[in-house]
Amino acid sequence: MLERDADIVIIGSGAGGGTIATELAPLCRNGARVVVLEAGPKLRESEFTGREVEMARRLYVDDGGFLTEDRSMTLALGRAYGGSTVVYTGTSLTITEPTLDRWGVAGLTHGDVLRRSQKYLAANSVHLLADEDLNDNNRLFAEGCRALGYRVEQFPLNLKGCTGSSVCNLGCPSGAKMGTHRVQLPEAERHGVTVVTNCTVNRIDDRAVVATVSERSYGEPSAWAPGEYRVRARAVVVSAGAVGSPALMLRSQLPAALPALGRYFTCHPALILVAQHDRPITNFAGHPKSFYCDHFADSDGFLLETCMYFPFTTAKSLTGFGAEHSGLMRAMDRLQMILVLAIDPPERDNRVLVDREGRTVVRYAFTDRVKRSLVLAMRASARIFFAAGAARIHAPASPRFLIEAAEANRVDELIPFDGLVLGKVAIASAHPMGGCRMGSSPIDSVTDSWGQVHGVPWLFVADASLFPRCAEINPYVTIMALADRVAEGVRRQLPELRALPS
Amino acid sequence: MGVIPDSQRDLLSLIAARLVPESAQLSGAGHAEMLALIDEALADRPAAMQRQFSLFLQVLRWAPVARYGRRLDRLEPRQQEAALRWFQDCPVQIIRSGFWGVRTLIMMGYYARPEVGASIGYHPSADGNAVLHARTRR
Repeated sequence: MLERDADIVIIGSGAGGGTIATELAPLCRNGARVVVLEAGPKLRESEFTGREVEMARRLYVDDGGFLTEDRSMTLALGRAYGGSTVVYTGTSLTITEPTLDRWGVAGLTHGDVLRRSQKYLAANSVHLLADEDLNDNNRLFAEGCRALGYRVEQFPLNLKGCTGSSVCNLGCPSGAKMGTHRVQLPEAERHGVTVVTNCTVNRIDDRAVVATVSERSYGEPSAWAPGEYRVRARAVVVSAGAVGSPALMLRSQLPAALPALGRYFTCHPALILVAQHDRPITNFAGHPKSFYCDHFADSDGFLLETCMYFPFTTAKSLTGFGAEHSGLMRAMDRLQMILVLAIDPPERDNRVLVDREGRTVVRYAFTDRVKRSLVLAMRASARIFFAAGAARIHAPASPRFLIEAAEANRVDELIPFDGLVLGKVAIASAHPMGGCRMGSSPIDSVTDSWGQVHGVPWLFVADASLFPRCAEINPYVTIMALADRVAEGVRRQLPELRALPS
Repeated sequence: MGVIPDSQRDLLSLIAARLVPESAQLSGAGHAEMLALIDEALADRPAAMQRQFSLFLQVLRWAPVARYGRRLDRLEPRQQEAALRWFQDCPVQIIRSGFWGVRTLIMMGYYARPEVGASIGYHPSADGNAVLHARTRR
């Protein structure tokens, strides 16, 4: 096994790891060695092809279809230089004060999170798209919401030079999305941070990590040669995401009892609704996600967002098959899409665990309230589609493949609560959260409010696994704000931390 | 040889033709491409999942005997479709999920082929904003 020494090892390079890396990078000026270990590849610009399966295989765990234990939901987990920030749509919202109050983390104030969030909104070029860059798919959503009196807002987006390829979730072919792969990591590397790609961390030992660097047939070569490494460090920061971080810590022999590790996993379970218009609309030209509706967040526990997916993702998200399914698929240039997301509660038994072979398992049970929220969200989406002039819609929980505009007043009847059948309806999540939740007590939390793992002074967490409850918004800005805070804690404690002797 | 055994490739093609009727019209090369995409996806998965996939195809082949007295690939197309809908709506979640998995792989095999865009009205452009602005001006 090859040996390496560092002062700080950061595991993961997404919104959490990338932020930590850039915030700790100035330490390199004084001789500190900061290393980021990233499991995914760093693709060359020419390798962002926008091809659906090719990009999914290169940029996601399990091609974007990581299955929960009972196979009722898939999780989209990004894996690349820049983590999930390479494959999100760049929607940049700051967490609300009521949500942070619900988190109830002593010492974590909304003012602090907001101040840190605003730093990244500026650094990552967040702004609203101009009117001329909003396509029909997005405009129709806003028009439908407004016609019904639903509150609708435009998403701030972190883009620079967006050409509107619409394939954000497959990695931006024009490099316009200002994720950590474009902003934070390059800056950290300029300061002397080493980013090691294609590097999977197998376990965390006492002030050390054991990792394997592998070769891939695509992407830039890793900074380290293929092989197994033991990297000693004074501090280790785990930023492998809300599935990867708790799983890695469960695989490791940590010197502390952490009964909450892996638990209270939330993920904003989501599904897609599709409407067909009688005329072609602009949908796959332009940015795919410009508006959201949080009108029902407090009353019914769901959010609505515009979206536009690719042929395979669209096909698998529709319920049913055969001629009617094919008929709708042949109308891609007339489809309007809405993504519905449920605001799910933190349940102790919804958790990340590892099986006997050491594989990661996500156990997630849908509560009745979440299932109800998803059905109510489908009904609201159906109304929005029809208010926007759709000819017919497909709601995955309806026993009918299509609901015609003439039946718009029967939406509640045609999308019944018992229509949401798990294992039949395609439910997916791209917002995994929790598993290493912040808090005061090691009984029901894993870290303190600065991301330091209870009882392990050299181990920190900085990603969405810190969230004690779900964010109720797209989470990446909040992840960056918390990572900024964790970096402050690491800087404060580093002088007291010592590496193991060689 | 890929992950899908030769003995199951015909069955998979038959199921594909029921789920995505256009798949039956694919050229030899198109059909091979569809199966290759499925094969590659399975190859990345753990051996246990590959075995489950193979086993579930066997379930799909033989379970219709109980209802129709014949296995799936010996039924009329209409009966095949009805049998597959039974799996989709089965009261047992693990059966539904197994069917969902097979269905997803077939949808991927057909709709992830680059050639499919033209036939479904999907032709994204790297400069989508230029397309959008041109359409808006018209």
